Amino acid sequence: MRLIGPLLLFVAVAGAQSSSDEFFERSVRPILAGRCQACHNAKTASAGLNLTSASGLRHGADTGPVVTSGDVANSRLLQVVGYLERLKMPPTGKLPDAEIATLRSWVQRGAYWPAQPNETAASAPAKKVYTRAQKEFWSFRPLRSPTLPSVKDQAWPISPVDRFILAELEAQQLTPSAPADKLTLLRRASLDLTGLPPGAGEVAAFLADKSPQAFAAVVDRLLASPRYGEKWGRHWLDVARYADSTGADEDYRYPHAWRYRDYVINSFNADVPYNQFVREQIAGDLLPTPPGEAVNTAGIIATGFLALGPKLVAEQDKVKMFYDIVDEQIDVAGKAILGLTISCARCHDHKFDPVSTKDYYSLASIFASTKQLAKIEGTVSELYFAPLVAKPIADEYRAHQGRLAAKQAEINKIIAGEARRFQAMQAPRLAEFMLGTQVPNPSLDPAQLARWVAYLKPTNERRPHLDRFYESSASAALYQAEFIAEAARRQQAALGTKFLAGDNRFYTEVVSAKGPLSLPTPNPEAFYSAAARQQIADLTAELKLIKAAAPPEPPFACAVAEDQPVRQRVFLRGNPESKGEPVEKRFPTILAGEDQPRIATGSGRLELANWLADPANPLPARVMANRLWQGHFGQGLVRTPNNFGFAGERPSHPALLDWLASQFIREGWSVKQMHRTLMLSSAYQMSAAVTPLKREKDPDNRLLSRFPIRRKTVEEIRDSLLLLDGSLDLTMGGSLQSGAGTDNEFSDGRKSIHPDASSRRTVYLSLRRSNLATLFTLFDFGDATTSTETRSETNVAPQALYMMNSKFVADRAAALGASAGDSERKVRQAFQAILGQPPSPGQVGDALTYLSKFPGPTSLAWTSHCRTLIASNDFLYVY
Amino acid sequence: MSTNMNRRHLLRRVACGFGLLGLDSLLSAQLAPKVPHFPAKAKRVIFLFMHGGPSAMDTFDPKPRLIVDHGKPLPFKRPLTFAEGSTGNLLKSPWEFRQYGQSGIPISSLFPHLSRHADDLCIIRSMVGDSVAHGGATLQLHTGSNTFTRPSMGSWVVYGLGTENQNLPAYITLKPGLSHGGAKKWSSGFLPAAYQGTAVGLGGMPFDKISEPIEHLQNLGLSPTQQRYELDMIQKMNRASADRFQHDPELEARIQSFELAFRMQTEAPEAFDLTKESAATKAMYGLDAPETNDFGWQCLMARRLAQRDVRFIQINHEYGPGNEVGWDAHSELVRLHTRTALQVDQPIAALLTDLKAHGLLDSTLVVWGGEFGRTPIAESGDGRDHNPYGYTIWMAGAGVKKGFIYGATDEFGYYATEDRMHIHDLHATMLHLLGLRHENLTFSYGGRPFRLTDVAGHVATKLLA
Repeated sequence: MRLIGPLLLFVAVAGAQSSSDEFFERSVRPILAGRCQACHNAKTASAGLNLTSASGLRHGADTGPVVTSGDVANSRLLQVVGYLERLKMPPTGKLPDAEIATLRSWVQRGAYWPAQPNETAASAPAKKVYTRAQKEFWSFRPLRSPTLPSVKDQAWPISPVDRFILAELEAQQLTPSAPADKLTLLRRASLDLTGLPPGAGEVAAFLADKSPQAFAAVVDRLLASPRYGEKWGRHWLDVARYADSTGADEDYRYPHAWRYRDYVINSFNADVPYNQFVREQIAGDLLPTPPGEAVNTAGIIATGFLALGPKLVAEQDKVKMFYDIVDEQIDVAGKAILGLTISCARCHDHKFDPVSTKDYYSLASIFASTKQLAKIEGTVSELYFAPLVAKPIADEYRAHQGRLAAKQAEINKIIAGEARRFQAMQAPRLAEFMLGTQVPNPSLDPAQLARWVAYLKPTNERRPHLDRFYESSASAALYQAEFIAEAARRQQAALGTKFLAGDNRFYTEVVSAKGPLSLPTPNPEAFYSAAARQQIADLTAELKLIKAAAPPEPPFACAVAEDQPVRQRVFLRGNPESKGEPVEKRFPTILAGEDQPRIATGSGRLELANWLADPANPLPARVMANRLWQGHFGQGLVRTPNNFGFAGERPSHPALLDWLASQFIREGWSVKQMHRTLMLSSAYQMSAAVTPLKREKDPDNRLLSRFPIRRKTVEEIRDSLLLLDGSLDLTMGGSLQSGAGTDNEFSDGRKSIHPDASSRRTVYLSLRRSNLATLFTLFDFGDATTSTETRSETNVAPQALYMMNSKFVADRAAALGASAGDSERKVRQAFQAILGQPPSPGQVGDALTYLSKFPGPTSLAWTSHCRTLIASNDFLYVY
Repeated sequence: MSTNMNRRHLLRRVACGFGLLGLDSLLSAQLAPKVPHFPAKAKRVIFLFMHGGPSAMDTFDPKPRLIVDHGKPLPFKRPLTFAEGSTGNLLKSPWEFRQYGQSGIPISSLFPHLSRHADDLCIIRSMVGDSVAHGGATLQLHTGSNTFTRPSMGSWVVYGLGTENQNLPAYITLKPGLSHGGAKKWSSGFLPAAYQGTAVGLGGMPFDKISEPIEHLQNLGLSPTQQRYELDMIQKMNRASADRFQHDPELEARIQSFELAFRMQTEAPEAFDLTKESAATKAMYGLDAPETNDFGWQCLMARRLAQRDVRFIQINHEYGPGNEVGWDAHSELVRLHTRTALQVDQPIAALLTDLKAHGLLDSTLVVWGGEFGRTPIAESGDGRDHNPYGYTIWMAGAGVKKGFIYGATDEFGYYATEDRMHIHDLHATMLHLLGLRHENLTFSYGGRPFRLTDVAGHVATKLLA
């Protein structure tokens, strides 16, 4: 169907305008107004259709155009009002024939709609015009290198960071908190950088080091630890909504997702420059292959960032499914890297930010030209896995898989033939066996009879196809005849044994694997003919040879790849059926301008990656600097780290953010250098002590008048617990789930590995989107489905129950409580082991009283004592 | 994060310079009862989820035309279905319909027990959803979106209303299935974790094998006295640290959470303990028969949880051993629907009777339904395919008309034609019945406000009592 165009509407009927005007106003408009516009108006636009204006009519409905000028047969409006198709309008009842005739005549005459004054000028502007407020919005402006503010207290600042913080504090007549004591600072820094508390040796070394560089040395040591990547990689994995399954409907496993997780951890450990890290995740497969490698392994794996999103793999509307995947990628890339909620512009121009649907579909064009799935067909579409070996090796592996399948099919064919032979042999005695289930008949093979008894035994299930037999066993002969006829029919038509529309269900049940006429179990071979047995033996031997010659399964990655470039159009209201203007592949014009180099070949991902990695792009450095700040100071300078747009929050210290972002770029996008910049400041080394004045004047700690306290993350909680009894396994990387390939198991098989069943660091536990382990949901992990900018910190009873009652905590407490020694020494040891600090004299006294008055045996008292320490804030919180 | 900030903000206001006095208010920050937008009869919801999709024209929406045209092709182009390749001609219902009660509502012979409650039911025959596949449809029913991850409706309800009983989870789903959306069906999504549903058991797990209804409810080594002794020490230590930080609101809230947990340990096992229920009650729910005992257990549990003011209770008829594919009768409609109806009919009727007997039906909104209905055309000869274009659910109890039929489908039962009730409209109506304006129940996330009903949803005012 052709969309009725403005030219057709207005030009073709110009000559007859006055009479058309009259016809429309007198006859047509009243029908539209009286019958249609209650639902199809500019505001409600039921089904996307607005029948109150010419432009609304031109736009059509969500399902497409409703009127084709002059074409009565193909104008949907007429079919719908004529009650000629399943959609019948108006729903309250068919229009009188006269009104339908009027509408038909109107369409026949060109569906003329008189122009309204405000509609004539409604042609789209060639270029998007931005307001000054939009162009000069703080986060879209180029980065500035602000001068350091002057402050009164010259002693406190030891880093440029401190000057920005102190200036604001001084403006509010606040003073920063005193420095934290060394033990607190070491625990804070260790947990912040590695997710683990310091060991006893590290504590001793730091306490002994009286040099001014002592803390800088600690920071260097922590940054060099492989544990650092496990902690900070996890920050990024939150932002990248990393998980090991597709979530949504079928929750298929991403069997190779862990490679992306390891890539992220390794990248943080190796301090890969952040802009390079971004580039790889968008288009790593398109970056040059490192010398000596067959493919760009790390680069391909890095695109897991795009590939590992939630997917509705069983969606039957394949176009919708595909564009949902594209949308999800725009969403995660937009939020993670640009701090913009671009995907809001899928159905309409962004409500808050200067991002148009055209901008959106320009980006969509890039991801739509990218290979997202291996197959988009069938009930469940197939995930795409990229081989991490040279193409010939991958091809050979696939070819070999094909040979295996073909050989197996040959074997199956022979077995099927034997099954048919068995059925043919049994068929003439079918009635006898059926009767034999009711009247003893010694001539029947008892084993075979037993199978019939099992099948025909009445159950509380209604099986209508067996009713005749239950009513009268005489019908057995009929069943036999029908069975033979059905078998013959299928033989002739080369049909299998699958149940098809209108078929005889008795037949398909009886020959199914559980039916009485499938090959006898457990030893079907006994029935095979000598020839068949020989053939199967030969083929099995061949199969074995093929298997023996199997090339090793190559490693795969969940990744994306290049695909045929598409010519993308805007989808009106997000509906792929309603196509609007065509778009070029390009980046949001508010940031990248109107004059962008044309992307003529490929998907455009490489160009996108390079634009995102370009220091001239003001957002990526600001967004990442803010995430790093948040990781150390609890909340970002912008407290909506995924939204730097108009609806997001404004930065508390805009100059500081720009200084940090500029510094980040100056230092080659080194994340580790940023940690040093942030941590080697007085601000980071303050105590968390708070005063009533600070609470009053700086309630949310936006000014950073003290160091913020935070609860440990779920990873830190579990890892610290495992550390208590020395069971933490520090092996890095790899998958904890065995086997490659997909699985499609239901229910129980979908559970994630139980956290208690592994002693690896929590970052390595698999994350099944549809069923995260309860420990994760309990302690605010988030949902691993959309980009998580910040973990929330809730305080609910089930968390307390975990501390009080879980076996995991109890086991640790018991192990610690079981150590030998006199009471006071044991108390000191427990404090040291669990809280990383010696008890105060008062605490020792309390503990000894607790133990002596415990209403139960001493061993239990010690377990209980250790649990009180684990359940205490001093274990769970970072000060 | 903004939630956390808001909460801190709120907590600070409540708790400035307080001692122990402010603690009750502290807890209220997330879960304490909240005043609805306007007065409403429904205080809680019991949602009976029929996974797989019960057929409307075989249960509550009789289609005589199918008898006449049985075996003939559908006289219009059929829309997208799930089993694109194996659909056939029109299939009449194998069950008879009769009219019941004063209202004369027709119900098929699949529901002999429930039909005695015809005058309690408000049948919605014009449900519409957007997905032909289970995953999307189930997610949309539970969260409003068939595409994106959103909080589940129970989470929205608890977010909007809090709970009257903090000694039990405010939102409980019994034996939910892990397929087709999994935990997304009861997750709080971007709402704070305090609003997430608590799953008791899982679909496919026999009800009598659920050893611990709520995780970590029992202490494995301590007597109650010992545990109280231990808890007092924990509280002493945590109070000291809260004091050290000038009554940090989060630390204060943590002290309360331990007290609550301690009480929950006593109250929750009692709620799940059926030993005090009479044999007659158990028999009424069908706990004495293997076909009905599983769903019967869920229904009886729903009544017990409703008595204890749990805000949102979901019970699930799920796929699994003994249930096969539940309502999802792509073939063998007769066998599968007969059995599934048998499993749920008596328990549901008992639930309605029992809620009434306990005076709870007037304050409880009961909703029954699947993620879609089934096609009037046959699939694989003797089954029916998925149909989200027009299907039936029903409500009963607080705030809805009794013995009432709302909406209609075409004469074949394919499309909703009158008073179409999209899933968004269903959600809007449910929230309305609870006293919540769906357009005002918003949560700000990632820079914009979100609703259960997205940017849609109309309250079906005609069915309000």
